[in-house]
Amino acid sequence: MMSGDVEHAGAVKYRAAVLRKLGRKARSVRTLNGNEIHVTLAGKEDAPDACHFVSDELKTKLATVICTDECQQGRGFVVRYVFGKENGEDVFIFVTVNIDAAEQSFPSVALRIPAAALFEREIKDMFGLVPEGNPDTRPLVLHEHWPGDVHPLRKDFDGRTKVGRVEGREYPFGKVEGEGVCEIPVGPVHAGIIEPGHFRFSVLGENIVNLETRLFYTHKGIEKLAETMNLDKVLLLSERISGDEAVANSTAYCQAIEKAARAEVPRRALQTRAVCAEMERIYNHLGTLAGMVTDVAFSYGAARLNILKERMMRLNEQVAGSRLLFGVNRIGGVGIDLKGKEKLVMDTTSSVLEDFNRVVSLLRNKSSVVDRLRNTGSIARKVAGDLALVGVAARCAGIDDDTRRDHPYGIYGELDIDKHHDTPQHLMEYEVEMQKRRGDALSRFDVRAEEVVNSAGIIVRIINNLHDGELVVPDVRDRLEPYRHALGYAESHRGQTMHWVMIGENRDSLFRYKVRTASFVNWPAIEQAVLSDIVPDFPIVNKSLDLSYSGNDL
Amino acid sequence: MADVATVAIGVVQAAGIVALAPFLTGVMRKVKARTQKRVGASVLQPYYDLAKLLKKDEVVSDQSSWVFRAAPWVMMVATVTAALFVPALLPLSPFGAVGDVLVVLGLFGLARFFTMLAGLDVASAFGGLGTSREMMMSALAEPAMFMTIFVVSLTLGGTNLSSLVGAAAQSAGFVAVPSMLFALIAFFIVILAETGKVPFDNPATHLELTMIHEAMVLEYSGKSLALVQWSQSIKQLILLALLVNLFFPAGMPPSLDAGWQVAAGAGAFVAKVALVAALVAFVETRVAKWRLFRVPDLLVMAIASSMIGVIFYYL
Repeated sequence: MMSGDVEHAGAVKYRAAVLRKLGRKARSVRTLNGNEIHVTLAGKEDAPDACHFVSDELKTKLATVICTDECQQGRGFVVRYVFGKENGEDVFIFVTVNIDAAEQSFPSVALRIPAAALFEREIKDMFGLVPEGNPDTRPLVLHEHWPGDVHPLRKDFDGRTKVGRVEGREYPFGKVEGEGVCEIPVGPVHAGIIEPGHFRFSVLGENIVNLETRLFYTHKGIEKLAETMNLDKVLLLSERISGDEAVANSTAYCQAIEKAARAEVPRRALQTRAVCAEMERIYNHLGTLAGMVTDVAFSYGAARLNILKERMMRLNEQVAGSRLLFGVNRIGGVGIDLKGKEKLVMDTTSSVLEDFNRVVSLLRNKSSVVDRLRNTGSIARKVAGDLALVGVAARCAGIDDDTRRDHPYGIYGELDIDKHHDTPQHLMEYEVEMQKRRGDALSRFDVRAEEVVNSAGIIVRIINNLHDGELVVPDVRDRLEPYRHALGYAESHRGQTMHWVMIGENRDSLFRYKVRTASFVNWPAIEQAVLSDIVPDFPIVNKSLDLSYSGNDL
Repeated sequence: MADVATVAIGVVQAAGIVALAPFLTGVMRKVKARTQKRVGASVLQPYYDLAKLLKKDEVVSDQSSWVFRAAPWVMMVATVTAALFVPALLPLSPFGAVGDVLVVLGLFGLARFFTMLAGLDVASAFGGLGTSREMMMSALAEPAMFMTIFVVSLTLGGTNLSSLVGAAAQSAGFVAVPSMLFALIAFFIVILAETGKVPFDNPATHLELTMIHEAMVLEYSGKSLALVQWSQSIKQLILLALLVNLFFPAGMPPSLDAGWQVAAGAGAFVAKVALVAALVAFVETRVAKWRLFRVPDLLVMAIASSMIGVIFYYL
């Protein structure tokens, strides 16, 4: 756990670099919460250049774009572009732009940083600020029936308002025209028991020429809802953003609050969080692998993996009282105690791992399975970089970003989870390995299988030296100050999840809660991944990316 | 010629095929479940499903024509008629004079033709997808089937099913004749394709985008769906009966005079069908579904195998 006021060594270096280049354009450059460098620009027209500099020359990756409505505080709208340095120093750079309440527009950076396009469309819907120059002017979050002039995240919009239905508008899907090109609309209601999402395929025979996804059918208004709740309730809300990422999302939320309060969380609590986070990773990866194997109709392998997933979920229930690991986190610590359950966790994990290794070697030797996965749903490294993909979707394409290592939080800093850089020999082998990754479903299979093994190892290492001491530090809430803000992050099984909080006026509430899950960033990847595939392979591509609808449709 | 007794036997045999076909489907599903570490539904589940579907109302798209409504009946009538011509429990099909193995295959073709028309008729994207995939598959599966039958006809003489099976009963099956061995390989592959088994199609999937047969009949509900499923089961049993009777004559009665031999032959038939069905279910457990565009490779293998059978016959 980082203590609030100490500026990290990496942050000093990057602050100097930012000052050198952007010093004249910036109103202020300061370090907050140890690893957050905040650059406030004097004028909003400098944003594209500044963002481009931070992203290209400092080699950072767009993590999220946060908009807040601070008009009532006299600061207008504030847009913060957050860039994270991956695979290097632990630092986040915030490029902050103030927008006059009367102007209602801001310059788009999407043409230079493609990953920003979705965020800007989101801001346009939720705040009514127009990103000038973003080529895609279509709505993203709000669908056709929502009135165009109502922007839910503005402070003057009451979340309890029932807005009317607007009829007669239609979403303009991209058209592919030509001889023999057909459109296949799929969803939003699907044949299986899954969440809603619409896929518009343009096909030439069986070959997919273009795919457009339309999501946000289950938009729940989580960010708006959080502004009306107290901090403990928001914790429950964060667990429910996407049920299978309960630990990762609530950990990120708690860490944001704890960072804002400059609280030291007891080691035992951090260890418990990490154990539960890894248990979550294991059961979800097992589920995804089982799903991939089901989709190639190799039911035997799928059944074996589903048995293992079930065993892990029963372990979850015995450890945390919830199969989905709800209720693990508290602000300032954890709500469950691992003492007395060490042996149970160790025994179950290691016997699951033993079986898992057998099943994986069975699957790797099954030519009919491997043939279906190889070269299916390839994501080029360039695409993965441009879209700023996170988690397995990035790692499968050879971009090795892992928040646990790049921005060590909780107990991960001590765990040395990445042993690739020990010796030059290891480093070289590792780089060769990364070059070999082709971004197809098979490499996603391999990455997931490897992560299950790693997570089991992490659990064993933590359980073996479990600390004594407190489970919760009690005074977090008292140390919060109005309008302090902090970034919390965690690596879920889908990838980096980012939670940014700004404390509200009465300390036990939030002024703004911005969540960016891995699913939001990774969904666009599917449109690129299917381009070399045929229609019947789409379900494998979809499953291997393991994207959450609920985690996307906040 | 056909006296009352043989006609009665033929009708009873066909009725038996129609009545027991869902049971075979249930057995295959059970074997599949057990080999996949699942408990699986009861072997009688297909009957429960049919009973449930027959009681339910139908939803029919207002975009569809009479073809959509007629297709399940055509499928059912075609497969039941085919059941009349196929020797199953007895090495004899009393209606052999009016129909031979080519008629049986023709009836299956008719059923398939109407299934494809129905898939196109409802004007949904999935029906069209399924139909185009089915056409691609059947364009290769049917020649493979005919080549196989050609080898069998050459080896055993004629296309009349009674005489074919009668000749098979006198022979040692595929063991003694290499051409029959290659025909058997081809026939087994074709059966997997024709009944929508795993390397070709996954009947258990809920993913519309990967379906072949299921995509064509996706719009059916209620009684029509019951007819579609039932006729699919009957077709499966008929194909397995042909496989068993043509290639595995062991236990078949040499003549129909001795009652105990006939009864033993019937018992042997049931046991052999059950074994082959278990084998098919086991194959489904052991392999993943192939890529759609690799499926033709497998069918081409079946064609090649039956070609080799032809060559061996003339050698």
